[in-house]
Amino acid sequence: MKGDERMAVPNAPGKRITYTKIFPYLLIAPVLIYVLIFLVFPFFYGIGISLTDKKIGSSVNFIGLKNYVQLLKEPKFVTSIKNTMTYTVISVLLKVILGMAMALVLNAKICGRSLARGLLLIPWAVPTTVSIYVWKWMFADTGGVLNAMLMGTGVVDQKIAWLSTPAMAMSAIVLVNVWRGAPFIGISVLSGLQTISSDLYESATVDGAGAFARFCYITIPSIKNVLMLSTLVTTIWTFNDFEIIWLLTKGGPLNSTQVISTYSYQAGILQMDFGKAVAASIMFLPVIIVIVNIITGYTLKKGDDY
Amino acid sequence: MKKERKRSAVNRREDGIAYLVLIIFLVFSLFPIYWMLNTSLKSNAEIYEKVPTFFPREIRVDAYKRLLFETGFPRALWNSVLIASVVSLMTIFVSMLASYAITRTNLKGRFFMSRCVLYTYLLPRTMLFIPLYMLAVKLGINNSLFGLGIIYPTFTIPYAMWMLIAYFKTVPKEVEEAAVIDGCGPWKLMFQVFFPLVVPGIVSTLIFCFTLCWNEYLYSLIMINDSAFKTFPTMLSELIVDDIFAWAPLMAGSLISCIPILVVYTFSSKNLTGGFTDGSVKG
Repeated sequence: MKGDERMAVPNAPGKRITYTKIFPYLLIAPVLIYVLIFLVFPFFYGIGISLTDKKIGSSVNFIGLKNYVQLLKEPKFVTSIKNTMTYTVISVLLKVILGMAMALVLNAKICGRSLARGLLLIPWAVPTTVSIYVWKWMFADTGGVLNAMLMGTGVVDQKIAWLSTPAMAMSAIVLVNVWRGAPFIGISVLSGLQTISSDLYESATVDGAGAFARFCYITIPSIKNVLMLSTLVTTIWTFNDFEIIWLLTKGGPLNSTQVISTYSYQAGILQMDFGKAVAASIMFLPVIIVIVNIITGYTLKKGDDY
Repeated sequence: MKKERKRSAVNRREDGIAYLVLIIFLVFSLFPIYWMLNTSLKSNAEIYEKVPTFFPREIRVDAYKRLLFETGFPRALWNSVLIASVVSLMTIFVSMLASYAITRTNLKGRFFMSRCVLYTYLLPRTMLFIPLYMLAVKLGINNSLFGLGIIYPTFTIPYAMWMLIAYFKTVPKEVEEAAVIDGCGPWKLMFQVFFPLVVPGIVSTLIFCFTLCWNEYLYSLIMINDSAFKTFPTMLSELIVDDIFAWAPLMAGSLISCIPILVVYTFSSKNLTGGFTDGSVKG
């Protein structure tokens, strides 16, 4: 309760800052009005639409939860839920593992560390669309460098159809997502690692703790919070990823990479079936809210959250 | 003595592993970027050779020429610069005022508001894009740069507020209290005493708002049909006609559009991950 303490300290008269009543409202008004019109309203408008059969050029009827029920009966949507889960779980897992490894390496006493840090962050920094096109080119059947390298080194003896077979298409989108997202975890964890004092490691080494024991008993507990936070944020981003999938596979082949966001885009923007599309995109809102609540718990201290 | 030596041997081995892993990471991370540069400098014939050349046999700038003089890419690049600059400047201005109200005044509901900021920041765009699209169509602002400019703050404002609130909280209240003794009014106090203190935080937030707009794809895709108003991410897809990929110009365009971002990251190395976890973690 830091705020209360501060108020309890008796201030000399004239020292207290007094604002006119209207001053804070004037300051917050532009943001507040904007947020109400373009964030809060669309959010509830969306929930409203999902309860109707709104399509382009037809009358709107309230149909309750029918959109949701129908979606859950539709094989294509069920597939996209499964794909979203697969994509999210595998990508996040790989990003956490690689990000941790990246952070540990960058935290070691090596020369050129800050340069390496900057270079490893480039995949995270370049525009998503750009990175997707480069990978698309590297995956290409004609002229693609990945197949050329794999065949040249004898790893495979036939071209891999990266984007046109179901299993490889999923691997390809995961690969691009991991390439792009691992540095975020890496740099976040690194900032946690840098708060650990090296004395801790030295005394543990003197006490005979091996590298593995030091990792489990010193490293992990120290970075637990920052790791959790960056993992949860990454989970939300990955769950809702659109660009990578849309630009690489458009949900194909045979819906094998169809995820909730691409499904919603196709139903809403391309087929103008707004009710169904919005229902598809906000069906998992409760899950998102739970994750956001956990994140809020990690980032905001009670009584100090202003 | 003996123990010392043993430890340094272990250290050397650990360092060796660290360098090896680092090199693998560097190759994995940077190869696609190199390949972008490599492809953009090749002739069309060399691009489709059976065994790709790892260094262009002959450096050709044809792809850049074609991109800059025969496509709508320069226009799209200009649109992106324009929209990202205007939106990030507007965002930072209104967010500065609002964050000041939340962190420095006795505004009612400020606890609730700062919590909402985090919620709106994390609320995924995929849940909002259809209602926003419908709203834009109703307002008649779809298919225009103005419309994009109206929509983009839906993600820049929450981000800027989140960053600025965290930053403003680090300034001790005593600074303003001293200024009040000197008879400073509220507006003067805010603009002439407080904001100059937080310039570094404001600049890095501004820069990241710029990159958020610069990279944006989904809203640009759904809102803009007219080529004249496309931003560079959607214009890049237009270089692909009927599944025929003009890889060299595409890679050239990709590389050009990375430049502003790489410049920004070089100059603001402190806040590299957009500050999400820097100092915002409890305990």
